[in-house]
Parts: sequence; C-alpha cells; structure tokens
Amino acid sequence: MRRLLHIEQIKLLNYNPFRIVLGIYVLAFTLGLVIYPAVDKEIPVISLSDLFRFPDVWVFLTWVTEPYNILLGLVVIMITTKEFNNHTFKTQLIFGLSRSELLLQKLLLVMVLALFATLLLGLTSLTLGLIYSYKITFKIALENTWVLGRYLASSIAYMSMALLVALLIKNTALSLLTFLAIRVFVDPVLFLILRKHEVRWYLPMRTTTQLTPLPDLIEIFQRKMNSSEPINESALDILPEGLPAWLNILMVLLYTSLAIGLSYRLMQRRRFT
Amino acid sequence: MKEILTIHGLSKSYKNVRAIRNLDLQITEGQAYGILGPNGSGKTTTLSIVTGILRQDGGHFQWFGEEPEASQRKTIGSLIETPHFYPYLNLEKNLRIICDIKGMPYGDIGRVLETAQLAERKKSRFSTLSLGMKQRLGIAAALLGDPRVLVLDEPTNGLDPEGIAEVREIVLQQVQEGKTLILASHILSEVEKICSHVAILKKGELLANGPVKELLAEDEIIEISCDNNDEFRKKLNQSSLVKEIEIENGLLILTLNEKVGPADINSFAFANSLVVNHMLSRKRSLESQFLELVKEE
Repeated sequence: MRRLLHIEQIKLLNYNPFRIVLGIYVLAFTLGLVIYPAVDKEIPVISLSDLFRFPDVWVFLTWVTEPYNILLGLVVIMITTKEFNNHTFKTQLIFGLSRSELLLQKLLLVMVLALFATLLLGLTSLTLGLIYSYKITFKIALENTWVLGRYLASSIAYMSMALLVALLIKNTALSLLTFLAIRVFVDPVLFLILRKHEVRWYLPMRTTTQLTPLPDLIEIFQRKMNSSEPINESALDILPEGLPAWLNILMVLLYTSLAIGLSYRLMQRRRFT
Repeated sequence: MKEILTIHGLSKSYKNVRAIRNLDLQITEGQAYGILGPNGSGKTTTLSIVTGILRQDGGHFQWFGEEPEASQRKTIGSLIETPHFYPYLNLEKNLRIICDIKGMPYGDIGRVLETAQLAERKKSRFSTLSLGMKQRLGIAAALLGDPRVLVLDEPTNGLDPEGIAEVREIVLQQVQEGKTLILASHILSEVEKICSHVAILKKGELLANGPVKELLAEDEIIEISCDNNDEFRKKLNQSSLVKEIEIENGLLILTLNEKVGPADINSFAFANSLVVNHMLSRKRSLESQFLELVKEE
C-alpha cells in the first residue's frame, strides 16, 4: 500500500493541474478565516460570529464547505482520465501492477484526499471556534466534532462517484461535465420532479449532501435569547427535512460501496490499449 | 532448457474479427524468438495478452511454467508498441515509478539510462524527447532490474535508420548477455539478424515455427542460365531434381528438391548437352520465405 501511495505521490506532486486545484481548495478554506469575519454584519437574530462559536462552528463550517468536495471530485476525475489519455494504466499493468492494484491506487488517493480535507476542516473550525467563543470548555469545544466523521464519509462518497464517472467515460472534459451536471443539474431537477415522493431523499447526491446538514438555527437562536420556551410549530417548517441520520449514513455507505464495486468491475473489464 | 513462455490454444476476437486463433507457442530460456507477420496478424494481440493488457477469449498461457500472475510481470521487461510514460515527469521520475511498481531500489536507473544512451537527458521531461529517445526510454524501462526475459513489440517502429541501428544494438547486446527475447517485428531482416527462432503468423494463425536456420535451410535455390533456357526448363520439368522453376530477368530460378545440390544440376545440364553460362547458389532469405508463406494462404 505504501508503494502504491508513493507512486501516486510522484505522479501528483509534479502534476500542475492537481497542484492548482488543490491550491484553490486550500485557498477557499483559508480565505474563509479572513472573509467570513469581514462580512460578519449584525443581522437581527443571528450573526456569523454566533455560528463560529463552539460547538456550532463544527456543524456550520461542515455545511458551508460541503460543496468544496466537488473540487476534490474534479481532482479525482482529472488524474484518473489522464491515465487513460497518457495510456499509463497500460504501462503500469505491463510492469507488474494488477488491475485491482490500479483501482486500489486511486482509492488510496481518495482516502488521503478525504483525510486531508477533513483535517483542513477540523483545523479551520478549531481556529474559528477559539477566536469567536466566549466560554471555552473541553466539553463544549468537542461537542459536535462527530460531524467531521460525516464530512469524511461525504468526501469519500463524492470522490468515489467521481472515480466511477472517470472510469466509465475516460475522457477528461466529458467526465468533468458529466459529474458537474449530475451535481448541479440532474440531482436538483430529479429532486424537484420527485418533490411529492419520499424517494427524492434517496438520490445519491442528495443523501451525500444531507450528510452534512444545515445547523439548527432555531436552537442557536433560543440559546442566544436564553429562552427555553417551545418554538411555534410554524417556525419548525424551516428546519431541513430528509431521512433519519442513521438511514442517511447507511444510504451514503451503500452508494459509496456501489460506486467502488462498479469501478472494480470496470477496471477488470477495461481494455487498456 | 527451462520453459519461459508456453501458449496453448490462445484465441482472441474483437467483435466479429478474430485476432488470434488457437495459437500454440513454446519459448525456452535463452532463445531469441521472433514473431513475424503482416499487419493484423495478431502479433501485438498475442504479446498484449501475455503481458496482461488484454484478456484472451480462449486457451491459456504460462510464464516460467506457472499460471500467469501480475507479480511475474515484474521479472519481465516489456515494451508493447509505443512506450507510454507521464509526459510532465522527467525520465528519472518516470523510471522511479517503474522501480516502485517492480519493488526495487532506484539504484538501477543510472545503469539503464546509460545503456539506452539517455543519461544526459535524465532531467528532461518525457514530452520533450524525440520518438527515437522515447523508444530507447521504453527499452531502458524494460531493462530495469535486469529481467530474465525481454518482450519487445515493434521496438524500432517509426524510427529513422540511425535510431533503428541504435535500438538494434541495445537489443543485440541483451541477447548476447543470454537474456530470453521475444521480439515482434515486421522488419524481417531485423528478426533474421537478432533472433534464433521465429514464428510466422497470418490472420492470427501460426503458419510456420522453428529455428531461423532451419527455416532458411528448408529450400535451396539456384539461379542459372544456359545457351537454351527453354530447352533446359523443359528437361528440368521432366526430371525429379527441382520443386519449382521461375523465370526472373532471363534467369531460371530453381527451387531444388531435398538432397539435390548445384553439382547435380551442373551434371544434368552437361548430360543434356547444354552449356551453363551462369550459375549462382543462393539461400532463400527469411523475407522471401515469409512472403511466400503469407501469400500461400
């Protein structure tokens, strides 16, 4: 496994498009540290700085940065389709890698990128939390860190789907377009068409998005107002709907396994000429 | 002799086109084995199957007497068609990837780059190399780890005469060092110069197979002319000395039957009162053998 990772390391750290996209990804995160506070205008109920406090910062930043996962998906597509364009899958096969190792190589990369993204999110959240929280205890600071696990699962799911698209289509531009189209067009349109059916919550991209939910703004508001009175029923309508958390996680794991399984089949059957 | 590669009943089709049919080959240690055939004869398909790029539809093959596994390919140096490496990486880094795949240290990179005369370009990106240099890098990669077997598919394809000579020199050196070579090429003279054994393929079928010397010695040819070629031709046709008579530039080209030599032909002419004014014994080149075999089908 170390050998496969080292091979990927040589390939990627010298590949400019990878460095650029990863740079944009890191920049988007770090800029958040500077830009979010700058746009922090006191709005009637909740300000951004309220959301940057422990323990809400974990959930809020996870929700905000979830779309960044698309960039990671694009990275996976670029590097996988390049192997087809340069015929380097063939070269690696000839010199002794098995087809399973070719896939494992890419899955290890997915894992490393997902861990990197989660670590970056954790560090950013921790920094913002330390800056904006009035009262910091160990318990409060770590209260919502479970959401990092969900973010990790969401990153892996996105990149596994991206890997499947890349192995299926092989062409870089077409794969990128297909992946983006699924994320920003096909999934929302299907969600709209199926709006009256419960099945809409089971769409692959939807379940992945729902893994990192919007923070419970009403609860935050209540806490700010120091009120424990029940909220008006109608106010609860703005809370996001969806599957129960356990089912949502199960569905994402299922889709990820399916994407990896199909990628394996494709890798076994592909003609590498 | 140890078995290196054994192929039994190998078949492969692309949709409706049969690329190879029921192919049997056996290559033993130390052989320099040439695979000859016109375009579409199945040479590359055969080598692609045995190097793991393609899967066969039928039949099986064994490397070193064992069922094929990815790990066996680490002990084989292969170059199938044009070499493909990462265009944005320099030669050294590309070869480091191959070393990592083979699970060997980077120490051998300098040696193979020297052998391929590319040491000075080790920091150049692959994309900046000429076709000849790319081909030599492909051979350098195949030589990493000093493999027992080299599998080269058209290694001189697209090269200029100088490039062809350079690549041939490297390959010959490896053969002289005792490596087993499997070489697919359409340049017949090259196979003749490098290989000890040859298999001729056409439309995926094996037409002939054996040591180059035996294939060459199969028929003896004589070009001859005398004061009355028509008469001589008639007499020869009635005799049992020749298999075939052709006419080429006013000369009779005789393919002799087994155990018949030039002296027998000379005596036959003398016995028939014909004066021979030109006689030359020539061995049939592999090229003419090959063309004849391919034409016959």
